Amino acid sequence: MYTQSEEIPREISKKYKSFNILSVGVGGDGVISATQILAWAAMKQGYKVRTAETHGMAQRGGSVSSFTRFGTHAEGPLIPKGLTDILLAFEASEALRYADYVGYKTHIIINNRFVYPSGVTRKMNYPNLEEIVEYLQKITPEIYVINATELAKETGNPRTLNVVMLGFVSGLNLLPINRKLLQENILDLVPRKAKEVNKIAFQLGIDKARKIRGI
Amino acid sequence: MEIPYFAQDTPGKSVIMLGNEAIARGILEAGTIIGAGYPGTPSSEILKTLAKMENYFPHLKLEWSTNEKVALEIAIAGSMSKVRSVACMKHVGVNVAADAFMTIAYAGARGGLVLVSADDPNLYSSQNEQDNRFYGLHGLVPVFEPSTPQEAKDMIKYAFEFSEKYETIVLFRTTTRLNHGRGNVLLGEIEEPQKEFGFDWDRERWVCVPSHSRVNREKLLNRMERISNDVNESELNSLFISKKNINGTKYGFLSAGIPYAHLKDALSYLEIEDKVSILKLGIVYPFPRKRIIELLHSVDKLLIVEELEPIFETMVKKIAFEEGFSDKIEIHGKDILPQKFEFPAELIIEKISEFLNIEFDQMEIPENNLNLPPRLPMLCPGCSHRATFYAINQVEKKLKKQFINSSDIGCYTLGVYKPLAAIDVQICMGGSIGMANGFSKLYGKEKPLLAIIGDSTFFHTGVPGLINAVYNQNDMLIVILDNRSTSMTGFQDNPGTGMKITEEPGTRVILEDLVKGCGVPEKNIWVEDSNNIDKMIEKLEEAIEAKGVRVFISRHICSLLEMSEFKTKNISPPTYNIDNDECTGCQICINQFGCPAIIFDEELKKAQIDQSLCRGCGVCTYVCPQEAIYEEEI
Repeated sequence: MYTQSEEIPREISKKYKSFNILSVGVGGDGVISATQILAWAAMKQGYKVRTAETHGMAQRGGSVSSFTRFGTHAEGPLIPKGLTDILLAFEASEALRYADYVGYKTHIIINNRFVYPSGVTRKMNYPNLEEIVEYLQKITPEIYVINATELAKETGNPRTLNVVMLGFVSGLNLLPINRKLLQENILDLVPRKAKEVNKIAFQLGIDKARKIRGI
Repeated sequence: MEIPYFAQDTPGKSVIMLGNEAIARGILEAGTIIGAGYPGTPSSEILKTLAKMENYFPHLKLEWSTNEKVALEIAIAGSMSKVRSVACMKHVGVNVAADAFMTIAYAGARGGLVLVSADDPNLYSSQNEQDNRFYGLHGLVPVFEPSTPQEAKDMIKYAFEFSEKYETIVLFRTTTRLNHGRGNVLLGEIEEPQKEFGFDWDRERWVCVPSHSRVNREKLLNRMERISNDVNESELNSLFISKKNINGTKYGFLSAGIPYAHLKDALSYLEIEDKVSILKLGIVYPFPRKRIIELLHSVDKLLIVEELEPIFETMVKKIAFEEGFSDKIEIHGKDILPQKFEFPAELIIEKISEFLNIEFDQMEIPENNLNLPPRLPMLCPGCSHRATFYAINQVEKKLKKQFINSSDIGCYTLGVYKPLAAIDVQICMGGSIGMANGFSKLYGKEKPLLAIIGDSTFFHTGVPGLINAVYNQNDMLIVILDNRSTSMTGFQDNPGTGMKITEEPGTRVILEDLVKGCGVPEKNIWVEDSNNIDKMIEKLEEAIEAKGVRVFISRHICSLLEMSEFKTKNISPPTYNIDNDECTGCQICINQFGCPAIIFDEELKKAQIDQSLCRGCGVCTYVCPQEAIYEEEI
């Protein structure tokens, strides 16, 4: 399932001139905060940034998606389908829901936790992780699965899920954003009381990525 | 405490801002004093951000008004007093404010007067996707529309200046992807607010009786003629003429707002940015006729890229006809791009390639046989609205009568979805009671008629419907869902909570007193805690069976607020569990109540409580006929 990633951070596509991250999940996963962190870090890295986020009605237990685009050319906030560089799925089945945004070059990060929509029971023909990964592999081989919810719980604060995810993607060297800069922006944007726990969460994500990469 | 980035007086500093924060920043930078509004997605964060700025800039006078019409009227009074004033609302809120809008368009403005409309193409959180650019055409009011957060900040700041220069209200139109999208913003200077102001005594202008309005009408037309002329020179409308062609044809585009941003990306992606002409409108009404003619002169084929209604298209075709271009150039718009919903970024690339007749390799998505049910928004675990709907459904079953349940706009509209399915009609704010008045004329004698409305919505536009019912003796039961918050839009306060936007105490309006004052007799008013199901069912039955105009106040704080109250007070809510020996697997808790925290285990054939979701409201203990759900002892 995993492929080795190179040590150098990924570059921004010369053709589209922007790096496109699609973060998806369910309300409460911290998708909007993750987007905000990525946006600030990308700006400090010197990029032009645009995002589009789900606020309001869609947050009431609904599916949440957030677009982050940055580069020398990022005018509009939406990512054209297929031109996603990274799909960050905070909930496993949401990766499948947004599969049409995935292209041949997309790297997909899946948190292995499921949140079942209301009225769905576990055994009801609901796609499982293996099926989701198998389908997505038809489009791209670059799929990474992480137990981010468990890792977040290990820190003592499950709300650090989004920062574990960011640590993981940074640890995989998939982001054209300096890791230290990213960490600084995480610590700037999380509540003062939660700084230490988020530092731990970020490191847990990085360590997990290193393990996968065999470092 | 460090001053938040949006309130820092640090011109030139580069920050990331949400579109709505950038709009608030522009309002602050313009030296605005008055800001009023009513919460509504996607507009709510504008006033919320201004309220946070108020800590550092106490000259700001802000409020959540009871509805959008009141909010605009407050801004109008500010303008009449020569201070810069703004009213913020979602697109459908402008309909509520339209009465004031259409006539202040005549009388004009003194202090800069801006109405921010947050439109919602794609209906992310709205009942329609109306295109409020039409309000500009309708009222003869200039309309601005930004494409990025930076533009939003700069343009709204300028809109106040523009408003004063031409003495007109300005409609500042935005859309969801601008309001709820972030981008780089360079902070600007914060202007000093007017130090000296006072009411501008001018009865002939401000008293809009027919004799005065005839004069104002003439002034309005003259004003618009002057603006129509000046917008040709405005920097907000930028025209790029390319001398190049693609396969012998000269192509052009006209766009504005978010579609313009995606158009730019598409042209860059297709590597043809320098090969086509583009007119970008920042002032989307009135139309810069001269610039459009220039564009028409420079192209063979023109594509108008606008979401929703073909407003630019109609205007450009009219100008092309009048100027004799009809046979010379092709003008496309809604024949290529859809009239419904927002434009996905890939759709713009695809349609432009089609228009330009150039190759674009599209990716084949492999067939997906996995069935993924939709994840619809729903009432939260522990939501008191679920308890009220459950109780209403139980009474309906017991009485063996079919109710017509009119509902309103708020979280509780989610009661339409299964398993509750407790809502039959919903159109607009306050409409529940209005429509129940109509149903009462037809079925008042035979069918129980319920109007189900939230606390904030009742204050917004529910009250006139209630007075109408009392006056005309239109029998109905009004159920006010009083959860002490305007929850759907982010827990704003309202007259029922009595707290102001600045978090200072105001005067609380008591619902019981209000309905009594509207003429509902004491015997026709019931009050109960929504989560006290047995009492709810008993009292609701009584209320539904009674005659006359009745009001049932179902009261319980929003579960999200209750959770945060628990947290601050360090209270842990009770833990509930299901006794596997008692649970018969009947699934009544799932099929009739539907709390997301209760799941059915297909292996055990028993219901289970997901402790990570359960908020400990305990309502499900009433629902279970086997009494299998119990509170754990600590």
